[in-house]
Amino acid sequence: MKKTVMMLFSVLFVSQGFAADIRFPVPSYEGQALVQLRQWEKNWTGKKINAENADQVKDFLHEGVYTAIKNPEIFGADTIWFEIVPYRPYKLSQGVIESTRKYAPHSKLDEKRNLVGYGEVAGIPFPEPKTGIEMAWNFDGNTRGDSHTEIQTGSVVDCKTRFERATEQHRWELYWIGRCDVPPRPAFSEKVNPRGIARSFFQRHAAPADFVDTTMLEIKYKDPHRMEDLWVYTAMFRRIRRYANNQRTDSIDGTDMIYDDQDGWYTSVLHNTYDFKGRADLLTARHQDPEKTERIKGQGYWSGLQRERVNLWVVEVRNKDKNYIYGKQLWYLDPEDWHMAFKVMYNRQGQMWKMYEFGYNEFPSYGNQTTPIFNTEHIVDFLRSHGSPSKRGIQAVGVEISPKLFRTKSLKQKSY
Amino acid sequence: MKKQTIFLTAVLLTAAFFVSVSDTHAAYHLFDDKLRVKGSIYEFMIYRTNVKSYEKQYRDTKWGLMRTKGTLELLYKAVERNQYQLNIFGFFHWWHESVPDFDDEYNRAMASRNRKRYQGPFYDQDDWINELYLDFYAGKWNVRIGKQIVFWSEVEMVRTIDRINPLDLRYTTPGIDPWDEIKIGLWMMRGFYNSDLPGQLVFEWIWIPGDYEGVRTPREGTNWGSEPGPEGREDLRPRGFGQSAAVNEMWRRSQPAFSLSNSTFAFRIRGNSEVSFLGAYYLLDWTVSWYHGMNNTPVVDRDKLGEPFILNMDAGTVNGYLNNLAIRRLVGAEFARVPRGLWEYKFFDAVGASCQTYVPKLGAVVRGEFSYEIGLPENKANPDHIEDTASYMKQITGTTERDVINVGLTIDKPVKINWLSQRWGASGVLDCTLGWFGQWRMGNVSRIRRTFAYQDRSQTNFTLTVRSKFRNNELWPTLRVLYNTRNWGYTVLAVRYTPGKHLRYELGYMYFFAHDPYHFREANAEDNDSVYFRFGYEF
Repeated sequence: MKKTVMMLFSVLFVSQGFAADIRFPVPSYEGQALVQLRQWEKNWTGKKINAENADQVKDFLHEGVYTAIKNPEIFGADTIWFEIVPYRPYKLSQGVIESTRKYAPHSKLDEKRNLVGYGEVAGIPFPEPKTGIEMAWNFDGNTRGDSHTEIQTGSVVDCKTRFERATEQHRWELYWIGRCDVPPRPAFSEKVNPRGIARSFFQRHAAPADFVDTTMLEIKYKDPHRMEDLWVYTAMFRRIRRYANNQRTDSIDGTDMIYDDQDGWYTSVLHNTYDFKGRADLLTARHQDPEKTERIKGQGYWSGLQRERVNLWVVEVRNKDKNYIYGKQLWYLDPEDWHMAFKVMYNRQGQMWKMYEFGYNEFPSYGNQTTPIFNTEHIVDFLRSHGSPSKRGIQAVGVEISPKLFRTKSLKQKSY
Repeated sequence: MKKQTIFLTAVLLTAAFFVSVSDTHAAYHLFDDKLRVKGSIYEFMIYRTNVKSYEKQYRDTKWGLMRTKGTLELLYKAVERNQYQLNIFGFFHWWHESVPDFDDEYNRAMASRNRKRYQGPFYDQDDWINELYLDFYAGKWNVRIGKQIVFWSEVEMVRTIDRINPLDLRYTTPGIDPWDEIKIGLWMMRGFYNSDLPGQLVFEWIWIPGDYEGVRTPREGTNWGSEPGPEGREDLRPRGFGQSAAVNEMWRRSQPAFSLSNSTFAFRIRGNSEVSFLGAYYLLDWTVSWYHGMNNTPVVDRDKLGEPFILNMDAGTVNGYLNNLAIRRLVGAEFARVPRGLWEYKFFDAVGASCQTYVPKLGAVVRGEFSYEIGLPENKANPDHIEDTASYMKQITGTTERDVINVGLTIDKPVKINWLSQRWGASGVLDCTLGWFGQWRMGNVSRIRRTFAYQDRSQTNFTLTVRSKFRNNELWPTLRVLYNTRNWGYTVLAVRYTPGKHLRYELGYMYFFAHDPYHFREANAEDNDSVYFRFGYEF
């Protein structure tokens, strides 16, 4: 008995020790780096950057952003500009912080690079990662307040002809596992979730005209080897269609985004290999006020993004399928909550093909906390002068959404 | 020719209007978002490329269709409470088919009353209402009351279990117009119960309290219909109201009254079940259904059949009237009035099932449908002493019933073309759908009257649809092929162009082929090769 008690104490002590060692959240800049940043910001905060002065901050611009600013005509604009704002660390929810401190000390990957205990843990599994795959699991661990609803309004823009098509979707998204904020935590019980769903979204289209009332349901499972299930109810044909998984590289509504691109990467982490490329100190859109963005008709790339310097983690991502639509991707991950700040996609010939940028901001979430969610985005095609800018009107974060919404019967019942 | 010029000018002016209108929203939201308004206006033109010399007496031009159609869809959120919700949905349409207005021979090939019903939404007084219903939600219940269109099918192009609403095939074929505009709405009560039982079962019931509509087949004298026959005196050609028009008119005049005793009932259970097989998960979306209703074509009333004899001229009987009409056409005499109630619309039952799932090994979605029609009413044809061959002129000898099995199976496989995915804004994926459809008529099928597929025990169709998208969904090329093993079928090659928010264009070519035009209605359209063009504005 004494032996058992001693062992129990030992285990508790060791666990506490690990928990105490976990640093989370980790700000982008600290100490001397933060001092130097503030010095730099004194000169640049509030300044508008366009083609004329972009060279002065070129060191802090990704090649894709620099190309767009210097050559606005590619994206149908006379000028593309952004504003520099001071760096502010994110205020993460207590749920994310506590979950990370609770579960991260025990995080490890198995021989297949799967996260051990996936579905029974929450938070950011590797707050101080060493490898690309650990960073990818960190990205996967961000549950965006566990649930949110939003209205996404955007355009599909041919920047050469200036033709635009409108897109509008109303979206409900629910995380079934890895929940940090909204009870039940860290996951729904097996009774509620017998199929082992990890994440689901339900979407109703309100534009373009031909797609009004089209609804979409996608379910991602916690088994990382199980492919997602995707159903689309096409109002035009009034049929619920199952989608095959190899349609995931098809564009959504003619935008430049494929199904896998949603939120940066919307399928299993294990589909890719990851190579950590280092840190990159770049101006990226955070604390974005969507009202400050603007564009003229035919412009596929937002002006008015509010960029602050962030020391991002850079991961080179290659799909295990050699015929995958992208030759490689570069993910730029935010060090504080591990969302994707932006990503760059290369074609199989190695050319920079597309860039997907997000403008994040903090939104009120469950229990008077805040959660960073993106409210502005654009995905642009450099080779075809095409862009898909959109805004996301966030309606609610960390709210209770009934799991029953994510059933195929909803596809018809929420539509006409 | 002058009329044609006027109409073409009108069409061009309409096109100019579409090009010049400003960009607005995809739909209008009024009264604090309580009312949503959307709609469209389209011009759909068919130009025949293979008009045969014998047809020229019925045509001044090669235009087969020039239909202007407007739709208006209203969704009103009347009541929104936590416990319940009431919406009102309305889908209205109006159209005008112009070819009879500028093609005099085409005009004369139709009887005047048929022409009026054909040119606009005038077949029934409520034709302009495609759908109009109250949609009530309370907890797990959902009840819809009003005129509705129901979709029960999983597969495309050919229907097996999807039989609630009849089709209006007078203007186009499925696959070219959307189903919700080809189907004829019916006044009904429809309810759903969304259970929490395993399999997420949804129980659905339908009661159609006596609103009956038959299938609207292509009308005689029109582009898709047969020529009026027999042809009659040369100086009177073209002369509308031949045998086919007479049968349609008899059917119309025998149509059941709006009465509870003519009610149709249907019931369906929809489920979603997960099975594991050989290490792979399969999520099955399945349905089972039962239908009890009237067949969409009638059989003859035996008491009013008349002698199946070519010299029977009694215009008060079915056989007699058709003989009488044929003779009067040949000699140029006035036609007898079409009697009422010569035909009977009879009930039959059908059970059905459908299933769809993604099959990882195939990388494809497989869909299947099955229906068993029990006691389908049929007419018998040709007395024993007459040589039994396929023709329109088959004397009716009585009625009977047969069971029919229909099966459909489709495989949807997206085929990736890697080099295409980085060019021309293409999706790089060809969405290919391969279908197989079979029909088996049970029992003895000899001398069971059918205009088409006479004495055929079985039918086998193969379908292929290939779609892709270019320029970020601005261009949608589509290929559709239907091949029947009796060597008839058709091919449609089309490109849809959606350049902006509202304007839509579609250009296509339809090619028909047939070894024997009596094999099916589509086979009968073997000379209808056409170019079609559709353009419109959606909001």
